[in-house]
Amino acid sequence: MDNNYILSRKTKLVFLSISVIGILLIALSFLFEHPESKQVWMNILLNNLFFLFLSLFGALFIALHKIAHSGWHTSLTRIPEALSKFLPYAAVLMFLLIFGMHDLYHWTHHDLHDPIIEGKSAYLNQAFFFIRMAIYFAGWIGLSYLLRRNSVNQDLSDNPKYHKQSKILAALFMAFFAVSSSTMSWDWIMSVDPHWFSTLFGWYVFIGLFVSGIAAFILIIAFLKSQGYIEFVNKEHVHDLGKYLFGFSIFWMYLWYFQYMLIWYSHMPEETIYYAQRINGFPIIFYALLFLNFLFPFLGLMTRNSKRNIKWLAMVAFVVLVGQWLNIYFMLSPGIIGESATVGFIEVGSACLYLGGFLFVVFNALTKKPLLCKNDPFLKESFHYET
Amino acid sequence: MYVSPIREPLVKGNKTYSQITQDIAAPIEGKPGKAWYMGLTISLSAMFFGLAMMGWTVWEGIGTWGLNRTIGWGWGITNFVWWVGIGHAGTFISAILLLFRQKWRTSINRSAEAMTIFAVMCAGLFPLIHMGRPLLAFFVFPYPNTRDLWVNFNSPLLWDVFAISTYLLVSLLFWYMGLIPDIGTMRDRVTSKAKKAIYGLLSFGWTGSVKHWQRHEKLSLILAGLAAPLVLSVHSIVSSDFATAIIPGWHTTIFPPYFVAGAIFSGFAMVLTLLIVTRKALNLENYITLAHIESMNKIIIATGSIVGIAYLTELFIAWYSGVEYEQYAFLNRATGPYWWAYAIMMTCNVISPQLLWFRKLRRNLLFTFILSIFINIGMWFERFVIIVTSLHRDYLPSSWSMYAPTLVEVGIFIGTLGLFFSCFLLFIRFFPVIAIAEVKTVLKSSGEKETKNESL
Amino acid sequence: MKRYISAYFTDEENLLRASKTLMEKNISILDVLTPFPVHGLDKVLGLKESNLPTVGFIAGGIGTLLAFGFQTWAFVIDYPLFIGGKPHFSVPAFIPITFEVTVLFAAIAMVFAFLFRSKLGLGAKNKIHDERITDDRFLIIIDAEKEESQFDEVKAILEQESAHDIQLKENN
Repeated sequence: MDNNYILSRKTKLVFLSISVIGILLIALSFLFEHPESKQVWMNILLNNLFFLFLSLFGALFIALHKIAHSGWHTSLTRIPEALSKFLPYAAVLMFLLIFGMHDLYHWTHHDLHDPIIEGKSAYLNQAFFFIRMAIYFAGWIGLSYLLRRNSVNQDLSDNPKYHKQSKILAALFMAFFAVSSSTMSWDWIMSVDPHWFSTLFGWYVFIGLFVSGIAAFILIIAFLKSQGYIEFVNKEHVHDLGKYLFGFSIFWMYLWYFQYMLIWYSHMPEETIYYAQRINGFPIIFYALLFLNFLFPFLGLMTRNSKRNIKWLAMVAFVVLVGQWLNIYFMLSPGIIGESATVGFIEVGSACLYLGGFLFVVFNALTKKPLLCKNDPFLKESFHYET
Repeated sequence: MYVSPIREPLVKGNKTYSQITQDIAAPIEGKPGKAWYMGLTISLSAMFFGLAMMGWTVWEGIGTWGLNRTIGWGWGITNFVWWVGIGHAGTFISAILLLFRQKWRTSINRSAEAMTIFAVMCAGLFPLIHMGRPLLAFFVFPYPNTRDLWVNFNSPLLWDVFAISTYLLVSLLFWYMGLIPDIGTMRDRVTSKAKKAIYGLLSFGWTGSVKHWQRHEKLSLILAGLAAPLVLSVHSIVSSDFATAIIPGWHTTIFPPYFVAGAIFSGFAMVLTLLIVTRKALNLENYITLAHIESMNKIIIATGSIVGIAYLTELFIAWYSGVEYEQYAFLNRATGPYWWAYAIMMTCNVISPQLLWFRKLRRNLLFTFILSIFINIGMWFERFVIIVTSLHRDYLPSSWSMYAPTLVEVGIFIGTLGLFFSCFLLFIRFFPVIAIAEVKTVLKSSGEKETKNESL
Repeated sequence: MKRYISAYFTDEENLLRASKTLMEKNISILDVLTPFPVHGLDKVLGLKESNLPTVGFIAGGIGTLLAFGFQTWAFVIDYPLFIGGKPHFSVPAFIPITFEVTVLFAAIAMVFAFLFRSKLGLGAKNKIHDERITDDRFLIIIDAEKEESQFDEVKAILEQESAHDIQLKENN
């Protein structure tokens, strides 16, 4: 089949239906659950983050493999490039938070007489918060745009300068991402519990981003293959992505465990309250997260064959995506909503609404360039390698 | 398997399989030069001095060290963590680079793995001798005893016992299993009956059979799969010795991955220190090429940057937390009586590796060698800063005190350096420092005959 | 007295092609000895996948149960103590040792399984066909118990792939 992706009417319809189902569920929620504005904003923030992470992963995957001089992935790069094209939308959605700051972030309230929050106000104030947001998106969108542009230019000419430039852009992206991924997680997620802090938090959120991204990548590949595209993506590529999903799910568990264990062990009340709230108030979600994000992918992807079967891998990836979505939910909801937080119609509905839109943007982006890039000096390695 | 022509060759000099064998076996078959004997003499002297200091410690007690009630851990534990950290590079090169299919590891993994074993041996000495009654060290193992007691499974210090033991054993197994085919090569090459018998015994009867190779490859892959999380877990558990405490500067959740990154950082620095000299001395520049040095430097700048980000994160969160004790801990580090240690740490670990963004420096042997030593000095000071500055001024000002090492402690450290270098010198004398069989596997695809250009 | 044909190659690609041809003609190859693992050779020879991974998994599983079980028994049933105000069944604290013992058991079991199955070990008495195998020679050993006529066919296949020193030998 030719390497140009066509977004069929049927597929568009499917995406639309997902969003419509989402809207219906949200409507049902307003009818029966009467969600407060806090809950509405929590869902906006949750899905903003989840889909932003998938999109950022696209840029990260390309940059990381570029500076590592990796060859096996080069035939796949159009897919993470398409993921990164959602970033401008993610930016717009994130800036919507301007209207929901009071519902989301306790530290935006005045006259709290809270010396702890006052102590942080040099960092946690709305002006600086949005300036940082602008810087993050400027860097992410700008650098990912330049990386994509380089990739397209390379299609048209085999001048080695594009490869060289890409390496520099990739290094810049990595440096910028390394800092911004931590600070954005402090800003948008950690400050939801303004008295709490954890130095590991930025890296913990990052690993969730990476795992979700790999899972999304796998699902997109599975979908494209089922429609007859990307035959050049073979079992070896699938195996490598499977290894990533397996290995980094374990790494996620490792970081989850150490953040939890160290806080549990030292038993300092200002830290333990975070987990006490969660494990006592929401035990099912607490343990479900460990099952979905670790136990299931760990046992399910242990054998070599399991990582080479795109259908099974897609199944596991789907479970992990749900698990990672729930992970972000769990970081936000108890702090924003409190004890009464549940996963109800509005949660599922918002996720569906966003999902439909996200899929449309990403698959539309796939139509803009050929699915297979050209002239990358490592491209041939991607066709002839064995794991 | 196709290798792009823009990649640099991994084996230079248009070698044949036979030449590879010859080049790597040559140092073992020939007689060592004066430099080797001098090096061994110095190392052994240092080692014996250290042994004397250790003996003195066991005989007289920990009072011979500069520790006091406020600062209960000083040079001893700093050295412990430093050595364990250095050991991690070997496993990283063997296991994690294998999992990521980085073929350039084949000429450095053997020495790196050997370095790991020697480093972990040095590390293991410290928990032993820092005990009040080291002759009762076996108490740490959970064996049924007349006191009806079990060990404290809840303590990270005990987790260390299991972690370091497992790490030492698994590293040893991994290193030795990889060595077996190469010892077979040595067995088949040496002519003296005695040497043939010894290498023969150590080769475990290796024949080169395809079925054995098949299993060997599988074993290596799975051991790598096990060793990778092992590396992470061991240094995370070591970091838990501090992170599970409640004092500022110690209790912080970032320690596990930050310590691991730091370990890989210092370990690679030590590999570079050793190999830059070894490759020249043993004429192995065609195998440990500038491309290899550059790749190692890239890992150094990556892990060094991670360490730098961790420092900044700690500083920021200390302020953000609003906890005055946390804030003071970091203020004290930078401006208190040990400010000079902090300055050395920051300069060596954060500033100097950033110079590696420049390709010319990444490929400069002298710069790399000097930098590698700076990094290890910096990483030593990092552990010193974490341990001593956090202990010497924590919650209660009336307990604040100062610490300085005694000659005994310094002597023990020098002793471990002596042990480490003695072992390494003996290793290069009797065993192939490069994995002969592994290098042969990459000759066709990545040797100089195939690829001509330098990387872009 | 087992009779076999032995032949040497200097290049692994020739060896691979020769092996493939021999396998296609159903000629039984007893062993192939190489200085390094030749990629794809085990598949060409139709060798079964090693089940070392299974050994590792089972041994690791035993390690997990043993370590976790023992800590639980020691600290919940046999001699419970209050340490740091934590519950007796202090799961998070049991994890590191459980993990280490799992890895330890898996690694040791696999190494022993490898050595045992390959008949390698201290004092192993395996026949070393040729000392150049560990240097740069590839040796193929083909079964020659059947008719002599096979020898010519085999010789032809081997010579086509630049094999040298093709001999009919007997095992003693």
